Amino acid sequence: MLPRLGTVNELFAPPGANWQHVSTRLCDVRRVMIVGLCATVAVAAVLVVLFFSRSWWLAALIVMWVAAIGAWGWFWAAANQQSWGYAENGEDLVVTSGVMFKRLVAVPYGRMQFVDVSAGPLHRAYGIASVTLHTASTETAATIPGLAAAEATRLRNRLTELGEAHGAGI
Amino acid sequence: MAPVSERSDGLRTHGASWLVQGLLWGATAAAGALGAIGAQGGEILRLAISVVGAFILGVGAGFASWWFTRYVIDGSEVRISSGVLTKKSRRIPYERLQSVDIVEPLLARLLGLAELRIEVAGGSDSKASLRFLKLEDAKELRTTLLERAQRVDATAGDDSLLVGDNLVGEPVDAEVIARVPPEQIMIGTLLSLDFVLAVVLAVALLVSALWFEFFIAAVGGIIPVVGALVQIIGKRVIAQWGFTLTRTDQGLRIRRGLLSRTSQTVPFDRVQGVSIKEPFVWRRFGWQRLEVDIAGYASDNDSTRSESSSILLPIADAALAQHVLEQLIPGIAADLPEALRPPRESRLFAPIGWKFRAVAAGPKVFVARSGWIQRTTDIVPHHKTQSVSLAQGPLQRRLGLATIEVHTPKGPVNARGKNLEAAPARLMVFDQLQRARAARALGR
Repeated sequence: MLPRLGTVNELFAPPGANWQHVSTRLCDVRRVMIVGLCATVAVAAVLVVLFFSRSWWLAALIVMWVAAIGAWGWFWAAANQQSWGYAENGEDLVVTSGVMFKRLVAVPYGRMQFVDVSAGPLHRAYGIASVTLHTASTETAATIPGLAAAEATRLRNRLTELGEAHGAGI
Repeated sequence: MAPVSERSDGLRTHGASWLVQGLLWGATAAAGALGAIGAQGGEILRLAISVVGAFILGVGAGFASWWFTRYVIDGSEVRISSGVLTKKSRRIPYERLQSVDIVEPLLARLLGLAELRIEVAGGSDSKASLRFLKLEDAKELRTTLLERAQRVDATAGDDSLLVGDNLVGEPVDAEVIARVPPEQIMIGTLLSLDFVLAVVLAVALLVSALWFEFFIAAVGGIIPVVGALVQIIGKRVIAQWGFTLTRTDQGLRIRRGLLSRTSQTVPFDRVQGVSIKEPFVWRRFGWQRLEVDIAGYASDNDSTRSESSSILLPIADAALAQHVLEQLIPGIAADLPEALRPPRESRLFAPIGWKFRAVAAGPKVFVARSGWIQRTTDIVPHHKTQSVSLAQGPLQRRLGLATIEVHTPKGPVNARGKNLEAAPARLMVFDQLQRARAARALGR
């Protein structure tokens, strides 16, 4: 009988080496986005409320709600950033993510069809990018967000190289 | 017209193709015009002019598309260039080829023509088709393509072997594995739960309409139900009529269809996974349906077509189904070790279903079973494992459960072990990676 795994971290631990973590700038980018979005929504809602009814208490309630959601997002961004991890093993790439809903996916290098690197304008301003691995299956969904730009390029080149070396068709 | 050319400027498809395509498009356009103008309640003359105009436009489009489409088949790839204004050229290297189908839509079939459909693994629009060729030419071309694909696989892209290639027609050693009589297909459909449900619903609606004299409201309900019935019959009976499964050098060949005929070839090494479906009533009789995962099939835009083309065997008893599986994946029947079953705690997620779930890994394949109304057994050969995942939600964490999944290309196969005990599930994920690696190294 197998020993029962005590902690969650053990269950989602990498098989060999340690997890490599993603940049904390991912957290910064997401916080900027969350704060920006919350501020926009709060201002717009307050303007609409005051324009139609002048009920200050309703406006205050909306601002409090939005602030609460923003605060939750603030902490979520940090927790989510810390939950991401990837490990390049000899034969496969392992990616883990999630705080509440945890997931671990292992992709053999030989199964990789192509590798994508993408970055939005805000991500570029912070110098991060995300790397996505595609296999013939859409369920693979192995995306690593928030890699430092240089690391993203290195990982892409490395994966492409390994994919060619291990290539096994479909 | 010789179907195979090494010429660089390419060939056109058969001369009557534009007529078939044009009539099809013309009829569609005319029906569309009739619907659009007819709904406005215009006068007869206007209606007639627009319907005829739409028809002529459709035929013209058919002619233009035929005129500007050319194809080349050479030592290493198939090239199809098409497009009237925007030129499009598609190259299909033989090693990317997943399957080659011959489809005879009713209209084309009457003229002795057939469409050759080449499936490659890829995104949403992953097939290339030649509309239309003479049936014999299409068959010859299919044999050529499949042989070359096989050879490219075997020699890792050595073109020199293709010099002096001799082309054979239908392979002589075609051995019939299974023939499904239409009666059995009809009985199977009559005994499937969704068909019975649709019939019951239609009858109930009709009776209540007559009883309450409530026609307008009932018609709104009856039309979709009848539509569903027609679709079920079309997909399960008419499309699967005269189903014959033969074994050829290049793979299993399926021939089926009452009005439009289809002939599919599934190369042995392109099968990504198999799913055995045992619907509720069928299980009493020991009948099964086999569905197969081929990269590219499920991304067909026409979902009805992709559903019927992934059927490997529409209905059969267990012994025949096992025989077919053994042909497709040798060693599939090897004894499975102890299966991993979800523990009692998982009944929170599936009060009845949890007892019927299990996963196991044999020497050749990964197997996942689930379902208590329709029992589904999903089988993935180890060397076709695309990736493996382990997932756990908050509630699963409290109960010490986790879900594992072996990923395959989009299709009927979904090999997933839900709510297993966490520690063995994790072990199974990494063991599966090992098995996949070993199987890949072996090449099969």
